[in-house]
Amino acid sequence: MPDSHPMIELRCLHRYFDQTRAVDNVSFAVGRGQVFGYIGPNGAGKTTSMRILATLDLPTAGDAFVDGFSVVDDPDRVRRRLGFMPDYFGTYTNVNVREYLDFFARSYRLRGEKRTDAIDRVMEFTGLDALADKPTDGLSKGMKQRLCLGRALIHDPAVLVLDEPAAGLDPRARIQLRQMIRTLADQGKTVLISSHILTELAEICDTVGIIEQGRLLAVGSVEAIQSPEQKLQNTVEVRVLDRVDALGEWLARRTDVTNLHVDGDSVRFFHVGDQEAAARLLRAIIEAEFQVTAFGSRRRSLEDVFMQVTEGLVQ
Amino acid sequence: MSGQAELPIADHPAARPTIRSLSAVAAQWIVRIGDRLNPILVKETRQALKSRQFGITFGLVLLCGWVWSIVGVAMAGPHVFYGVHGPDMFFGYYVILAFPLLVIVPFGAFRSLAGEQEDRTYELLSITALGPRQIVGGKLGSAGVQMAIYLSAVSPCLAFTYMLRGIDFPTILFILLYTVLGSLALSVAALLVGTLTAEKHWQVVLSVLSILGLVYAFGGACALVMETLNWADLPFGESEFWQVNGAFLTAYVTYFALLFYAASAQLTFVSDNRSTRLRFVMLIQHVLCVGWMSWFWIGPARGEEEVLLAFMILIGLHWYVMGAFMIGESPDLSPRVKRRLPQSFLGRVFLTWFNPGPGTGYLLAVSGLLAALLMVVLGVAAQHLFESWNLSRWSSRYTSVTLAFGLLGASYATIYLGLGLLVIRFLRRITQVGILLNLLIHVLLLMLGSGVPVVIQLMSPEFRYLDYTLLQITNPLWTLAHVADRSNLPAEAAVLLLLIPFTAAIVFLLTLPGVAREVRQVRVAKPKRVAEEDAELTPVRPVKTSPWDN
Repeated sequence: MPDSHPMIELRCLHRYFDQTRAVDNVSFAVGRGQVFGYIGPNGAGKTTSMRILATLDLPTAGDAFVDGFSVVDDPDRVRRRLGFMPDYFGTYTNVNVREYLDFFARSYRLRGEKRTDAIDRVMEFTGLDALADKPTDGLSKGMKQRLCLGRALIHDPAVLVLDEPAAGLDPRARIQLRQMIRTLADQGKTVLISSHILTELAEICDTVGIIEQGRLLAVGSVEAIQSPEQKLQNTVEVRVLDRVDALGEWLARRTDVTNLHVDGDSVRFFHVGDQEAAARLLRAIIEAEFQVTAFGSRRRSLEDVFMQVTEGLVQ
Repeated sequence: MSGQAELPIADHPAARPTIRSLSAVAAQWIVRIGDRLNPILVKETRQALKSRQFGITFGLVLLCGWVWSIVGVAMAGPHVFYGVHGPDMFFGYYVILAFPLLVIVPFGAFRSLAGEQEDRTYELLSITALGPRQIVGGKLGSAGVQMAIYLSAVSPCLAFTYMLRGIDFPTILFILLYTVLGSLALSVAALLVGTLTAEKHWQVVLSVLSILGLVYAFGGACALVMETLNWADLPFGESEFWQVNGAFLTAYVTYFALLFYAASAQLTFVSDNRSTRLRFVMLIQHVLCVGWMSWFWIGPARGEEEVLLAFMILIGLHWYVMGAFMIGESPDLSPRVKRRLPQSFLGRVFLTWFNPGPGTGYLLAVSGLLAALLMVVLGVAAQHLFESWNLSRWSSRYTSVTLAFGLLGASYATIYLGLGLLVIRFLRRITQVGILLNLLIHVLLLMLGSGVPVVIQLMSPEFRYLDYTLLQITNPLWTLAHVADRSNLPAEAAVLLLLIPFTAAIVFLLTLPGVAREVRQVRVAKPKRVAEEDAELTPVRPVKTSPWDN
């Protein structure tokens, strides 16, 4: 199979609902085995683009491709290659876990031993072995998420589209889900994942795309989507005993400080410079007779990048 | 007798390998068959067997059967041993069986599909490898399994009525066959209704309408069965009985197929071809209708004019309704549909009318109407030319009335469908026209053409007390009834026969530019990636060309 085309590609994708531009000229590509994080606030257009990729909706203009096949003109070929986990569960009443997976395995035309093996493999991977005979509508939220991931994986697709898979999960379940997604990427699957929990995406994604009000604002690795200046910026938080507003004014006069926020007894801001520059800044604050109780400097996170990229770019 | 001889056959040393191998083969076959079963059928059977609703309904059917057996026999008293009680007892059991078959099973099919759309599990189903026909087929199969279970519960009771005299076995089978066919037809119609909308409020409206319709069908079936039981015997020995049943079953099968494919088309992905298969079914219906009507006309009816009139009314309604649906299709073909358009000269000439699109649909409907009119002309001509067929001789007046009815009917259908096409084509420039708006426009046009002149005539002191006047020229119903309701042509015939076909020709010509745009569409090549995969999946075979497609 030729590898010249990306596994997922959105080309000038538009989707309008009357006057609302849910997706507005979005283009990006994801290569084989990559994990792509799709970031944006509620209503940004993530789910709409994902539904178009999953052949559940049609674009108003533009096209999307999975392994080189158009989702508009060849949905059947796309469906064979794609596993979709939507932001709802879609379980049936009076069906247990094994029967549920068996139904979807049959629906993907897996027969005989192939079907049994696929069900066993998925149940082992998602850790559902012990719950094989439990009714699907009686599962906990975390277990339902696992079941939905299992359903998306049952036909061993090359591409996975996961819409908010970690929503509502407890910390342990989130960590386990993250590990599963990383394992899938290591197996060569291409994953498109959306999430509100940006710290999680930062850990598992090779590339991220930031979308707001239907427009894609930035695409690339977390490093790449920052400008050279931004790459030198750290997020700094200073806590003082008193005179917090005076500290804010003092810091605002400095040229190496941006995005300053005063919050209670602390001040948060972006500081241009390396760790030595941060040490010099701390010394300067103390010399200015502010009573510092805490000083923290860290590299900019995905959340910081997201906040800065989305701020003011789309009105 | 030796000890070895007393061993059961299965335990006999010589028998063991054979029985084991047989059971292993049987088990393998069962597994293979199970693998081939429709996944939805498997899932829904599992669900139904575990569901409380099915358990309660099935229990109630058994309980009602048992209670009716006790009450019926108790009411008959000692008379039950020698009197005729079969029909009465049968009717009671029939009501018990018909309610689940004609109400619960079809409504269950409707709810099953509507519920999948409400719970959004349909979305998950639609992105699997299951096609729309498999989805509808699976739901229908599941309805069939439920029917079989209900039938098996009431069958012993029905057999019992045969022993009570007054009802024969063929009649029991005949009634049951038609009830099962009715249940299947209602189920596929309910599935079609279930595909119409995914919006909750419309689903509620459709649920109520479906229940009302099903209860009405149940009442109708009970009344029909009561009427049948009141007859002395069904005429199983008469050939006309079987001919009528044959014609009915032919119509049943084709309309069942039409409903099935329409439900599947509703679930088909938007860029796919939803129309061609339905158009082929419509054509088959046309051919079968022509076949049966010719048979009746030449055979049992011996050239009676009612046969030709019935044929013209049926075929006219058929093509008008089908044409109205086809005109609602989008004129833009997706690249996916264009990949499979006929390409050769013969293919384009004969198969273009089966391509999706309002213009080709209009032309197909008009062609069907004209073909039917031609058949009527041939039929009338045959009556005069082939004396050996012993057809009843009509007077020239009957002939002209029949031909005038056919010509006017075809012209009216051409006009109203054509006007609908032009209005919808105009509206498409402003807004999207869905199937419901399309149908509404056709109904409104017909109401305007029929209702407005009636209202004017009723309100006019000059015309109020007159019968048909030329004011009703736009009213197809009154005009056609006026022409058919007499043994010779009415006084207005000359004007009608001049104006209506002329208007039809004008409307037809007005629609032609749009039709031509659709006809000019040509096949497009597969995308490179699709061709690559097809080449991988399909080994190279010697190229065959057919006159239909190259």
